[in-house]
Amino acid sequence: MKKTTFRDWASRLAVFAAAVSLWELFLSHSQNFLLPTFSHTAIALFNLVFQEPRFWEALYISNQALLVGYAASVVIGIPMGLLAGRVHNMDRILNPYLGVLLVMPVAPLIPVVIIALGLGLASRVFIVMLFAIVFITINTRAGVRGVEPALIEMAQSFGASEAQIWRRIIVPGALPAIFAGLRIGLGRAITGMVMVELLLVASGLGRLLLEFSGRMQSDFVFATLLAVIIEALVLLSIMQALERKVASWAPDISVG
Amino acid sequence: MIRVKALSKEFGTVDNGNAAVLALSDIDFEVRDNEFVTVIGPSGCGKTTLLRIIAGLIPYQQGEVSIDSRPVTGPGPERAVVFQNFALMPWADVLGNVTFGLEVRGVAKGESEGRARELIKVVGLEGFERRLPKELSGGMQQRVGLARALAVNPQILLMDEPFGALDEQTRRLLQEQLLQLWERERKTVVFITHSMEEAVMLGDRVMLMTPRPGKVKEMIDVPLNRPRSRDVEKSPAFIEIKEYLWENLRAMQAAQP
Repeated sequence: MKKTTFRDWASRLAVFAAAVSLWELFLSHSQNFLLPTFSHTAIALFNLVFQEPRFWEALYISNQALLVGYAASVVIGIPMGLLAGRVHNMDRILNPYLGVLLVMPVAPLIPVVIIALGLGLASRVFIVMLFAIVFITINTRAGVRGVEPALIEMAQSFGASEAQIWRRIIVPGALPAIFAGLRIGLGRAITGMVMVELLLVASGLGRLLLEFSGRMQSDFVFATLLAVIIEALVLLSIMQALERKVASWAPDISVG
Repeated sequence: MIRVKALSKEFGTVDNGNAAVLALSDIDFEVRDNEFVTVIGPSGCGKTTLLRIIAGLIPYQQGEVSIDSRPVTGPGPERAVVFQNFALMPWADVLGNVTFGLEVRGVAKGESEGRARELIKVVGLEGFERRLPKELSGGMQQRVGLARALAVNPQILLMDEPFGALDEQTRRLLQEQLLQLWERERKTVVFITHSMEEAVMLGDRVMLMTPRPGKVKEMIDVPLNRPRSRDVEKSPAFIEIKEYLWENLRAMQAAQP
């Protein structure tokens, strides 16, 4: 994977500046007073971060669901994908359920989950998992399936045990795909976190968003979303750094 | 000594319902210690299947395959395989790939690295220890494959069309290097190829196989002196055997639909 160079950053900044200028220009000439300009959004973000204690509280509450739910998705999703990828009987059993999870719209299930688990953290964690886990599992499975059979045969020819084949061939070979799943899963987990808070459990950042939009404070709505995006980018770059460390051999396919 | 007796192998009998394909039928031959046997035949003659059976990678239904009179039931420390498509781990550097077999067999890290560096030198890749496979040419990659196999110090080297994926110049260079290597350390070698020159150039004997089902048609002695160099290609014996192989292979190819 290539390192991001100074030039990349300069180009990115240029795109950002262009987009922001367009945004600013377009809105300062339009009659729409509900849409905030970029500068208003930036000011709102500043206020949110430095003068609104409820923002940090909301961020903390939302992140409980996000981090616990995402961590659980990783801890359950990766082993499930590994097994489905290597053990054919396991794959036969899991396959239809993974298909269901993959195509099932999760939002309509939120009320059902809340009826079952209540309005607390458990529901939010579970919903984050519903959003994220299947993408981690199917990517891991695909990664295991994509490991060259010739490499497994090579390992066997040297007398490698199944455990050695797992540790030395399958897991390293599947890592790039596992990371792809982790990234998609993270995006989905964040969606799940915000969605459940918007739809039914008025807590955390979702509650803040509802309040701001109820009061027509669109600049604060934008600012809150921006804060969510910034957090997501930070998490993604941590993951990317990790990937660079453990799977640097793979062709660069990552986004984010 | 490798002994194969009345070996037959069928594919596709287990659960897919198709008619079984007889890949190998009644194979009989021996490879003596320190002998270099090349195996040639048209595609579909089961030569790779035969090698994989000797390597212990796939089971066989009928017959006997034994090494020093111990039946083959799986891979063993006295055998190492060199693969056609190199089978290098793309995430490991040259050193990591060459130490693989040693580490799997529980050799301590320091010792396996020392041994690997030695073999990397032998195959002429000194200075490339920290390169990844994708940074190497095909010929260099296969030299890594060869070093990895030699690192475990096997008594028997099983080579499955090892130079088949390489271009002509590289292939000829590697043949010469393999010959030099073999002169120094005489392993028992079974070498699959579909190149007639290669079969005669390298082998003490050439095993000619026929397809569908795979059978041994003939074992041909190669009466060329060792150590051999490129010059043997001009000798009458070389040309004669090569022509003989071509006549046979041509007839087999022509007989196919």
